[in-house]
Amino acid sequence: MKSSDPLAGIRIIDLSMGWAGPLACRHMADMGADVIKVESCERFDWWRSWEATPQWIKDGGAEKSTAFNMVNRNKRNVTLDLAHPEGRKLLLRLVKTANAVVENYSSSVLPKLNLGYEVFREVRDNIILMSMPAFGSTGPWREFRAYGSTVEQSSGLPHLNGCEDDPPTMQHVAYGDACGGLNGSAALLVALRHQARTGQGQFVDLSQTEALFALAAHGILEFSATGATPRRQGNRSDTIAPQGVYRCAGDDEWIVIQAFDESQWQALKQEIGPGVAGFGGCEERIARADELDRHISAYTAQQNATRLMHRLQSLGVPAASTHTAATLLEDPHLLERGYWQWLERAVVGLQPNPSAPYRSGSQPFAIKSPAPTLGQHNHEILGGDLGLSAPDLERLTELTIIGTRPRMRMG
Amino acid sequence: MSQQALQGLSVVDVSGSIATSYCAKLYADYGARVLNVEPQAGFGTRRLAPYMPDQIESAMHAYLHTNKLSLRRDHMDPGQLARLIESADLLLDDGTSDEATCGGVRASISWYGESGPYSEFVGSNAQCFALNGMLKNIGRVEGPPLIPTGYQAEIVGGLTAFTGSLAQVLAGEIGNRSTPVHLTTSIFESTLCFTDVGVIGYYNSGLSAQRMGINRYPPTYPLGVFPCADGWIGLTVLTPSQWRSFCRLLDMPDFADVEMFQSSVGRLEAIDVLEPVIRERLLNQSAEELFYRGQTNAIPLARVPTMEELFGVDQFVARNAFTKAQLPSGESLTVPSVPFRLYETPPKFGGVVAALGEHTKEVSSEIL
Repeated sequence: MKSSDPLAGIRIIDLSMGWAGPLACRHMADMGADVIKVESCERFDWWRSWEATPQWIKDGGAEKSTAFNMVNRNKRNVTLDLAHPEGRKLLLRLVKTANAVVENYSSSVLPKLNLGYEVFREVRDNIILMSMPAFGSTGPWREFRAYGSTVEQSSGLPHLNGCEDDPPTMQHVAYGDACGGLNGSAALLVALRHQARTGQGQFVDLSQTEALFALAAHGILEFSATGATPRRQGNRSDTIAPQGVYRCAGDDEWIVIQAFDESQWQALKQEIGPGVAGFGGCEERIARADELDRHISAYTAQQNATRLMHRLQSLGVPAASTHTAATLLEDPHLLERGYWQWLERAVVGLQPNPSAPYRSGSQPFAIKSPAPTLGQHNHEILGGDLGLSAPDLERLTELTIIGTRPRMRMG
Repeated sequence: MSQQALQGLSVVDVSGSIATSYCAKLYADYGARVLNVEPQAGFGTRRLAPYMPDQIESAMHAYLHTNKLSLRRDHMDPGQLARLIESADLLLDDGTSDEATCGGVRASISWYGESGPYSEFVGSNAQCFALNGMLKNIGRVEGPPLIPTGYQAEIVGGLTAFTGSLAQVLAGEIGNRSTPVHLTTSIFESTLCFTDVGVIGYYNSGLSAQRMGINRYPPTYPLGVFPCADGWIGLTVLTPSQWRSFCRLLDMPDFADVEMFQSSVGRLEAIDVLEPVIRERLLNQSAEELFYRGQTNAIPLARVPTMEELFGVDQFVARNAFTKAQLPSGESLTVPSVPFRLYETPPKFGGVVAALGEHTKEVSSEIL
């Protein structure tokens, strides 16, 4: 590890699973922290699969999960059966060497294993423990379960999206996850800074639902300030027109066009031509938005979305074509910026990896290693870092406390 | 009073974009001293909807700027301003400013980054979600795709820059960085965190999610927001055991053990069979009651509160999830609290919003 990595020398034990917790830890790993992901052969990260079968195990499914591989790069991986006293003890020995532990188990899991903040403090008194439950570690819902979708639903955000005649509209299959992960990175760094300055650890409580309120702030504040319920108004706006997603030539091709000020509108008006010549100021455009959108749609329907985006942007008009997962890998902007980094990964071969979205030069932070395989670093961590002997490791393998192959849960 | 975790840090924001403001807000709420260097007309966030009833003060500005100090740039000596920036731990800007060098970390947050064919584009929240691939999957099959509302992309950009910049500040304090650093954050690339898994999935499988209709997303069903007798319920049923529990909850025993329905994708493929029955069952039930019964049975159901209901939700009340910002006019406004809690170094809940230039004299007098 290079000493120039911002977080070199910081060690984090990542007990988290799914998207949010692992993403929080991935940001730490991307910036040079030594992140050790702990799974067990039976209780492996559910993002490898939530429908594991013996056949899936036989087919190497555990190492083929795109989702798992995306959020666990730059980490090391150790397997420990935490339900076994020896596995638990080894975890505590790892905790003793760490700055922080991150977990997002359901709230009953750590206590059942006789683990938790106070137990971790006994082995390292300045440890940071960050818990990331969907609704926070206190309150009547502290034990309730959720996915990223549940978090979006619970935040009220769906009431701000979509059309008035439609149900409250979700934006994403698991919107709360990535947002929770970003907040987790931020929270962890705040606690690490305090630890570095004072030597004091602490418990960090992150409610993923509360983390999403910032993204719903426009609606929350409208109600708070005025007592008026925000209206769902599709792609329209109370303050600007035009604003819309307009169909372009081709199959399901669209372009977002907005005019935030008069100069943008004048440029757009000139481009579209006589059809919109009669539209005046912003208030009039908002009042006649249906009519305005018809004219714009008639214009865009003949155009290639990407070329139109570049044409309008060259005139200073905010415009963007719509990508899909299938087209983003070829996006010229991301390609030129080196956003996708290609790494060989065991079992799945060459894979694209998204870069960290912050950089300190023209190129993104280099990704050093792909996601580890299950138990890939058992010997390196348990033998190297904790000093266990080869016979010790062999015995732990025989007892199934460690391993490199997933197993179906017994019972 | 307890120490605050970011106490002792000085942050200067010279742009006042939504992204820099949110980034700086996190610094301020956790104890850093944040100085807004505002132009004569004030930061743009002062003219950002939604507004207070007077239509003058911005509620959004109030949310973004609690616990910060406000300086008027035109009332400051340029040399003093340069020294202020030079001595700051962190300078925040939108990438276009031509400021004096910061001796610590300069963090620039721009729509598309400082290189690449989009770097000169005029950006917006809607455009980021169009280009990141998320927008196209929202809405009815026939279209148009729907824009995620508000300032979500900017907030995500600010949050991302907070992580990147705080890591660099920490690096300086623990000896991993000895020279000034300029960190740049692209708001567009920050929002790719929502969609990059789909991109890699496409690379591996050749399959790209298509727009399936309101509240329909692969890889599972039921998922979405559904009407009940007294409001809306949020459903996500993913695993086989959750499906069986859900069938018991809605009294659908015939569906519980059907092999095809044990798989999330199988249920999605059978949506035309399942949806009418589920909808009919839900319409006769109380969302509130169903939510508690579901969660008791380990099914991740959600209440989907309206903005009116949000402030009264027992969980959010118990955790002080909302707090008060005090505006320069003396009005107070209920705003979301800080998003994470540190037990030994509690953040500030709510706080005072400075009037434009309120601290110019005070801060100027401190600078040699």
